[in-house]
Amino acid sequence: MPLKKVIETKKLSRVFKNGEIEVHALTDVDMVIEEGEFVAIMGASGSGKSTLLHIIGCLDRATSGEYDLDGVRVNTLNKNQLADVRNQKIGFIFQSYNLLSRTTALENVELPLIYDRTGRFSNSKELAKKALEQVDLADRIYHKTNELSGGQQQRVAIARALVNNPALILADEPTGNLDSKASIDIADLFVQLNNKGKTIVMITHEPEIAQFAKRMLYLRDGRIISDKIIENRSTKAFAMKELEKPITP
Amino acid sequence: MRRFLKIFKVAFKSINKNRTRSLLTMLGIIIGVAAVIMTISAGEGATLQVENQISGLGTNLLMIQTKSEHKAGINVRMGRPIDEKDFDMLQKNSVWMPQLSPLVAIGAQAIGPSGYKSTMVYGVSYDYFYITSRAIESGSFFTEDDVRTAKKYCVIGETIREELFPGEDPIGQQIRIDKVPFTVIGLLTEEGSGGMQDMDDIIIAPYTTVQNRLYGHQRGYTMIMASALSEDHIADAEMEATELLRESHKIKDEDEDDFEIMTQIELQEITGNITGILTILLGAVASISLLVGGIGIMNIMLVSVTERTREIGTRLAIGARESDILTQFLIEAVVLSLVGGLLGVLFGIIGNQIIYKATSFYIPTAIYSILIGFGFAAFVGVTFGYFPARKAAKLNPIDALRYE
Repeated sequence: MPLKKVIETKKLSRVFKNGEIEVHALTDVDMVIEEGEFVAIMGASGSGKSTLLHIIGCLDRATSGEYDLDGVRVNTLNKNQLADVRNQKIGFIFQSYNLLSRTTALENVELPLIYDRTGRFSNSKELAKKALEQVDLADRIYHKTNELSGGQQQRVAIARALVNNPALILADEPTGNLDSKASIDIADLFVQLNNKGKTIVMITHEPEIAQFAKRMLYLRDGRIISDKIIENRSTKAFAMKELEKPITP
Repeated sequence: MRRFLKIFKVAFKSINKNRTRSLLTMLGIIIGVAAVIMTISAGEGATLQVENQISGLGTNLLMIQTKSEHKAGINVRMGRPIDEKDFDMLQKNSVWMPQLSPLVAIGAQAIGPSGYKSTMVYGVSYDYFYITSRAIESGSFFTEDDVRTAKKYCVIGETIREELFPGEDPIGQQIRIDKVPFTVIGLLTEEGSGGMQDMDDIIIAPYTTVQNRLYGHQRGYTMIMASALSEDHIADAEMEATELLRESHKIKDEDEDDFEIMTQIELQEITGNITGILTILLGAVASISLLVGGIGIMNIMLVSVTERTREIGTRLAIGARESDILTQFLIEAVVLSLVGGLLGVLFGIIGNQIIYKATSFYIPTAIYSILIGFGFAAFVGVTFGYFPARKAAKLNPIDALRYE
């Protein structure tokens, strides 16, 4: 049985118009991401990776082309429908965590369920607790965000992305604000979640973090210029060891 | 509905998170609502007091006096003075006015054994006591005979007794009114002071005596006071008096009256209008503070939207619709103004009580002032909350997420 396609794009393009000037942020992007994949998207700044993330995250719409997310044709939906798709099918993780300040971990994780309109979650508190257990924060449930370390805050954010059981987890530079050790922990957490069957797309420009993924897309000037399976995936133990090596010029 | 409750909870949490700021924001509304309630109630209190005073003036009262006009800032008597001839004519012919009394008012100084006081001396006939429904505390009124023979008797009010006979029984004692000796034969029952005029700062004497001894034999009365047969016949009495006086004053059909008749009802209407306007004015001034409070809410909400741009972006990213964000911020503004309104109502009522305790000026907290104050607060919350809420809801999620 062929695997389910979570993301399928055809000739996806995004053009920003700024007066007379047209900026082609994305040009003819074709890609397929199947269920259970762990994809790292890399590229220099300005390569269009943020634009791509916004479009596959349903925060922005493509100028042309087709985009199916988990079997739903998204590029024709209106604002409210897009909001519902984000709520039901996507879990977002941001570089700066974007948690509510002075609010407990539990309440932060419950947040996506507040906006649920399907009524499929009966006990949001239980679900939030379970999600926090999955990211090893069972003992920090009632801690407020400002009482947590950066790594712990990002774990809360990951729990928030998991709580609605989305088809796709979308991470935008998830380790950008973290030190090396915390970064490796988060990358390792992604691997664990992926092993449990979660589909993850992660934007990063740290090669050692991208190395944890199964597959890597490389963007330049709005086009995918490389798409390869990662042969020797990094592991937590390996990455930790690498950290201890002296930097050789 | 459950989702609305959840969003309500979200709004409430965010108010609670910024407690100091929320309280300061509410302060404008609290003061505004309290001010509206207190000023309107004070206006109502004043109206009530004036009304009580007017109805205390007498029963079915009519006051007939010479017409006066405002000219260059002073009252000028226009027609011939109302006098004995008019009084006799009315008493002889009137059907609707069974009680009539002349009134000769004069300011004078009264000197008693232990003190003195400047006061008003009213020269009246026996009927005056009935017309003004004044009762006697001790002693007696003067009789019709006393009036006819111009006895130097007088009845005094409680305020006069306090000044002239502190701690003493005044009955039978002598006082001097502008050097003329009078015997006190009665003490009026206290009407209670309050408002514009002290009803007990008064000396009542036979009009004949006042005219002869104090008024310098001047012709004419200050006014004729009359009591209509019943409340329903005040208008009849007024019409009758007008006709009789026009006839006896020989006023031609095309000419205007040279006298004025004021009834208790008209008096009530006039003062009611004045206090009504006063109440509206006070209330309007107070509502300006409420408006300023509303602008305060809008200001804080706008700051809050800017400050929480990233939070809004996050909420949008994880699936909040525009309407969810709009609702959340609108609820925040409305809750702020409603809680502020509620506290304002509380402080308004307490403030009224404090004023009552401190000055014994009775202020009934008008129910409609609470409704106006609270309703206006809610209205202010929605209108001034809508603009910031819309601004929040219309944020582009991508820009909002990037906002530093």
